[in-house]
Amino acid sequence: MTLEKLLSYDWGIMAPEFTILIVATLLSLMDLFMPNKTSRKPLALLGIAGVIIAIVFSVLQIGTEPTSILFDTYRFDAFALAFKLLFLVATGLILLLAIDYEGEREWEFRGEFFYLLLTALLGAMMMASSADLITLFVGLELLSISSYILAGIRKNNLHSNEAAFKYVVNGGIATAITLFGMSYIYGLTGSTNLYEISEALTNPAVEQNAFLLVMAFVMLLVGLAFKIAAAPFHMWAPDVYQGSATPVTAFLSVVSKSAGFALILKMFLITFLSVQGWHNAIILELQPYIAVIAGVTMVVGNVVALRQRNIKRMFAYSSIAHAGYVLVPFVSLSLLVFKMTWFYLLAYLLMNIGAFAVIQFVTEKERSEDFTAFSGLYKRAPWVAVMMAVFILSLAGLPFTAGFIGKFGIFMSSLGTGHYVLASVMIATTVISYVYYFNILVQIFFRKGEVDRLLPSIGLLIVMIICGAGTIFFGIYPGAAYDFFQEFDMNELFIK
Amino acid sequence: MSSVPLSVYLVLALILFCIGLFGALTKRNAVIVLISIELMLNAVNINLIAFAKYGINPSITGQIFSLFTITVAAAEAAVGLAILIALYRNRKTVNVDEMDIMKR
Repeated sequence: MTLEKLLSYDWGIMAPEFTILIVATLLSLMDLFMPNKTSRKPLALLGIAGVIIAIVFSVLQIGTEPTSILFDTYRFDAFALAFKLLFLVATGLILLLAIDYEGEREWEFRGEFFYLLLTALLGAMMMASSADLITLFVGLELLSISSYILAGIRKNNLHSNEAAFKYVVNGGIATAITLFGMSYIYGLTGSTNLYEISEALTNPAVEQNAFLLVMAFVMLLVGLAFKIAAAPFHMWAPDVYQGSATPVTAFLSVVSKSAGFALILKMFLITFLSVQGWHNAIILELQPYIAVIAGVTMVVGNVVALRQRNIKRMFAYSSIAHAGYVLVPFVSLSLLVFKMTWFYLLAYLLMNIGAFAVIQFVTEKERSEDFTAFSGLYKRAPWVAVMMAVFILSLAGLPFTAGFIGKFGIFMSSLGTGHYVLASVMIATTVISYVYYFNILVQIFFRKGEVDRLLPSIGLLIVMIICGAGTIFFGIYPGAAYDFFQEFDMNELFIK
Repeated sequence: MSSVPLSVYLVLALILFCIGLFGALTKRNAVIVLISIELMLNAVNINLIAFAKYGINPSITGQIFSLFTITVAAAEAAVGLAILIALYRNRKTVNVDEMDIMKR
């Protein structure tokens, strides 16, 4: 490749990625040269500044024509941009959480956390906008490997060690399975570019080997189901979520999961949508199986959450259940699949990070992760208690919250495409979820606990206010988000 | 040139993959578990290389892909071992069965 060719690329479309990359590099260098016993917390502020700059770049890019550079391995389109914005906002909020995380001894002097969070974000962003199996894989691994270390970053904590090891082993197996599926797809098509694959898969030679294609599809689905923690591949989630530091748990449950969904939508909708199986399009033939995964995920997540006492474990199962809800639009595959998924992920981002901010606040003050730590919270910190109530009502899907609008949209789209069983499973499991969500509310408002007043620190307060305001605003006026989403033309995804 | 058909390579890769998966799911020693994962990733490499030469549309891309896989697998193994060492320092065990302090 000559220099002219390299310089002729439109590098400007990668501005958000470059910003994050530069800030992450800068943070790692600063961490290296800072004296040993200096607090690393200011690094987070720089990280937040970087994320904000990247958000500004991304917003300025809205409406840009789809472009691809680097031999079509990196592709900028509206789909990628919409998801990147979600990742950036979520990571910014999580960095704010991390500033106030107390952790254990020496935590304050460890800077790795902040730049690993940014590299993980970079991986997620690359996943959203790559158009080639190789870059998809590298992005996925950048996200995964960074999160393995993040999960184990409290290296003197037994729970954290164990969580990280379980995550590495499960994640490694999932990666291997995904890659094995990818290798079959490469073998059948001779290309790693998603768009070339979708063309090559219509080749008659592929149809003779339909079993290989189905195997590849199933293996990809299994590998990615690990990533979004869908049943029956969810077993790692509760342990990893419980053992990790709270900001890391928030990151895994929001950014990592959303990135998994972006990858699933992108990979399956670009490559498999037009491919013939035995009788029908392959994605329609395999739809019942995905529907079963979605249904089982909702049931398992919500039912097992009922008997959890550890609050982070309970939220791990709750996030499994939410993965089930978000899979529903993918199963029903209406024209609104992107809109529904995106809006739900936005609502989930706001309510879940908000809830984790409160969880971090309470578990740190109480030094306990048992859900009785919340008892009497209303007496001790009334505004925090009200915020938590908003997040929990939204997670449970009650009206006037963003969670309700998201869930309602998903429910209607599944009814509209005739998936009545899935829709009823969704309603039934939502009702089950009320039990454990309201249990927390009972603890907060009706149980007696300590009486001393608690005050959240400034970072937590900002996160709670942003998330709370967002949850209520999008609950009452979802049109704002939908109008914003209209700016993104999802058809760009399918135009080569 | 060679008379070994593609299917032989694919079966070899599949067998390696299954051995790796079996090992990763059943072995009690954490180091063996990590090695089993490497075995699964190497099965992928065999697949990619075989397809790059004998696939429906042979191309160099498969070999490039396998280079990336090898690199990333090395990074993953390094992180896995580092985490295992941290765990061993605190727990004095590498037995997977004993890593159950969170919920029984």
